[in-house]
Amino acid sequence: MIETSYRLGCMLNGEVVSRQVPPVRRLLDLLREDMGLTGTKPGCDVGRCGACMVLVDGKPMNACLLMAYQCEGRSIETIESIAGPSGEGLHPIQQALVAEGGLQCGYCTPGMVVSLKALCDEVPQPTRAQIEEALSGNLCRCTGYEGIIRGALRVSAFYQQPHPDPTP
Amino acid sequence: MDSRLNDSPGRAAPSVKLSRDTAGARWMDRPDGHAKVTGQLAYLTDRSIESMLHGKVLRSRHPHAKLVHVDIAAAVSMPGVHAVLTAEDVPGLNGYGIVTQDIPVFCTDRVRHVGDVIAAIAAETPEQAAAAAEAIHVDYEPLPVVDDPLHALETDAPQLHEMGNLLHETRVCHGDINEAFAQCAAIVEEVYTTPRQLHLYMETEGGLFIPEESGRLTVYSATQHGYKDRMQLARILAMPESSIRVVSSPIGGSFGGKDELNVQPYGALLALRTGRPVRLHNSRRESMRASIKRHPMRIRMRTGADAQGMLIAHHTEIIADTGAYATLGREVLQFATEHATGPYRIANVKTEGKSVFTNNGIAGEFRGFGGNQVIFALEGQMDRLAERLGMDAWELRRRNLREADDPGPLDQIIVPTDGASDVWASAMRSTMMARRGRVTQGAKPWLVRGVGAAIVMHGGGLGYGIPDPAGGRLALSADGKIEAAFGFEEFGQGVLSVLQMLVCDRLQCSAADVRIVIGDTDAVPHTGSATASRATAMAWQAMQKLVPPFASAIVERAAQLLGCEREELFTSEGGVWRRASPLSAELPQLALTYKQLAESSPARIIEQAAFDFPVTPTVDPVFGAHFLYTYASVAAEVEVDLLTGRVQVLQTDHYVAAGPVVNPMGFLGQIEGGSVMALGFALTEDVVMEEGRYARGQLDTYMIPTIRDIPAAVNVEAIEHLPAGDPFGPRGVGEIGTVGLAPAIASAIRAACGTWVNRLPVRPEQLIRPYHTFLEGRLHD
Repeated sequence: MIETSYRLGCMLNGEVVSRQVPPVRRLLDLLREDMGLTGTKPGCDVGRCGACMVLVDGKPMNACLLMAYQCEGRSIETIESIAGPSGEGLHPIQQALVAEGGLQCGYCTPGMVVSLKALCDEVPQPTRAQIEEALSGNLCRCTGYEGIIRGALRVSAFYQQPHPDPTP
Repeated sequence: MDSRLNDSPGRAAPSVKLSRDTAGARWMDRPDGHAKVTGQLAYLTDRSIESMLHGKVLRSRHPHAKLVHVDIAAAVSMPGVHAVLTAEDVPGLNGYGIVTQDIPVFCTDRVRHVGDVIAAIAAETPEQAAAAAEAIHVDYEPLPVVDDPLHALETDAPQLHEMGNLLHETRVCHGDINEAFAQCAAIVEEVYTTPRQLHLYMETEGGLFIPEESGRLTVYSATQHGYKDRMQLARILAMPESSIRVVSSPIGGSFGGKDELNVQPYGALLALRTGRPVRLHNSRRESMRASIKRHPMRIRMRTGADAQGMLIAHHTEIIADTGAYATLGREVLQFATEHATGPYRIANVKTEGKSVFTNNGIAGEFRGFGGNQVIFALEGQMDRLAERLGMDAWELRRRNLREADDPGPLDQIIVPTDGASDVWASAMRSTMMARRGRVTQGAKPWLVRGVGAAIVMHGGGLGYGIPDPAGGRLALSADGKIEAAFGFEEFGQGVLSVLQMLVCDRLQCSAADVRIVIGDTDAVPHTGSATASRATAMAWQAMQKLVPPFASAIVERAAQLLGCEREELFTSEGGVWRRASPLSAELPQLALTYKQLAESSPARIIEQAAFDFPVTPTVDPVFGAHFLYTYASVAAEVEVDLLTGRVQVLQTDHYVAAGPVVNPMGFLGQIEGGSVMALGFALTEDVVMEEGRYARGQLDTYMIPTIRDIPAAVNVEAIEHLPAGDPFGPRGVGEIGTVGLAPAIASAIRAACGTWVNRLPVRPEQLIRPYHTFLEGRLHD
């Protein structure tokens, strides 16, 4: 194995990270194995399933296709950083998915939430077409996507009302 | 006189469209929802522990070969390697399988598919384990590959097992089909083929295996039946079952695919050998290579009717490619054979099935369990027969539908319901059905639309003669929680919600009063598997038995403590409440919390139930036959692009008769999710194999539906009605959603562009028309 003294410097979930990283380390393994952030899931290793989606400078990317060194100077946000407005509780996207049955086994869910976060940061009330575009790189085998779409279409309702289960 | 012919076609049982709005307070957030959307839920493959080693399995390079010699010497001395195991290191039985233990843990003299295992390694890092696997020298002597089940049955084919290449044969015969075919006004005959579908659960197989200081072994790895894994591992490890703890939930999807053992034997053997915790987690490529798949089937059907469209004769021949080992190949074929006549009354039936060994991986249990394949064929026959007779295809189905009291498809007694006619009639309410039988033009000349529909009857439980225990336990725990313990697994279907809702509903308590315990053999009673659409039904029946004595014991103890009459008390939110006197204006009051009750005495209040999945109570049993059935109909509208051959499903409407809905969100999710799995089965999914090797090994070539491939509208309606006095409650819905959509799509494609589909997934090239066709403004000749 190639040893290295490469030092990675980046932001991870709002905190400065500076650590030795082998050049062959993928971002996915850095997060899961080295940082213990197991909310980011391995699903295919070829960037097709989206279970490992993270935000890199606000853009959704597959952590299985990123080498750790490519994150130099960038800001990484994982599912662990996505929470309610106060930093506690659930983000409106998360509330909406729970409320609408937008998850079953839950393994794809962190990736779905991350992709939706990128979308909703740009478009607070996305249309179905925008949701389809944003989630076209996230596979789900349980829900048939129906609950996910219901949830995504209702996210804005949870932004407006802090109550966890508003009626429209 | 057949009374059904007098029914008006519009008659429909009451049904409810499932949604948050119609479910009201029964639309409940999942207990595991918060942990799942935040990424905090630790799946078993997320677990790690200091000092753990990494496991790796070496699989066969060849689909069929003699294993001449395995030399591990070089691998053993590689850096970081702690153990390299082969067949001689298995202390107990070198084999596994839910019913037949013919899958070698490690191969000894022969390999029969490219997933067969030769050795397993534990090393300090995954890279070291992989390097050691490369260093194992294996001498193979390749043998001719048996990759076609039809060829496998020929006398000169290489024989894959001592018993030959025929795993199982079925034969059902009612009446005389030869005589009956002679009297038919119309006969259709067709051969249908279905794909090798991959479960493609998002979480691949894996887990953590810990040798405990006590000498016990803890297995953290997904399965659909923890106790069954424990029993199988005990046999392999030559350890008492009580020395093994299997923690098997939560699970990132299964669909039948994780019911059989996968990485567990290797993790367990490596952990015990090294005395260190061992982690294994399959890559997607390894998962696709090693995992079981849905049986590809070749189904020939010959079906005949009289001039009125009454079915007279039906002959089915099924050839199932079961791959290298048995697993549940027998049972799947048995199920397919039972379901080959669907919900129809046919006097003369012959069904013959063969499940055949090949070198094409392993086929086994998969949601739908053989029903998907035969229903695709059967419903295709109904459409073809109707067209031959010049009849409406839905009307032809109506004329032949079973009545409540008719015997089951194997002439067995089944629980009577109007499910078949209810789902038939409900489908007529679909707005799409008015457009059936004709082409509708899309936005461009080459876009054509059509509507199709299908009916499904699907058995629940394992079937007559197969041990199918159920049960459960309710206890007031020391900390005052009402603990409901069941041996089911949570792989997404929502069994946690079901159990919580049932307990809260029956005891009128709140979710905060309840703790659900599942997925841990050290903590749960034997309640059978979470398979075969059985868990919700069995949980409901268990509660029928458990709750009355449990509630009674709680109230009894409270009455003693309070010094009052039992009749004054009832269980509710937070504890036991005292009724107000009918004469007073007071409201009921919380008299004792569950915690106070629990602390009042060291004697725990506990109720256990043990029973079996109900089967036909008959003196003339039919092995494997089912007693409880769920019924469903589905209508689908498709748009076919005649220039590309692409099929887009525009809308699907589902009607499901499964008794009372316990958990509306879960029910809806099962049908929505199941039907999109069926969409993939119909249009894109096939694990193509060439000479026993996988031609598709990753998600870049094996295509499941994405969010862009699903219908614009999916409607699900539940028909909850059951005959008065029916004691069985909810039937399962875990599988039925995956069955009916494929034949409905095939029917809609025929309506749209005139092409009969007899092979899944649909081949786009079969649907393409030359561009000049549209220049002349004509769709059809």
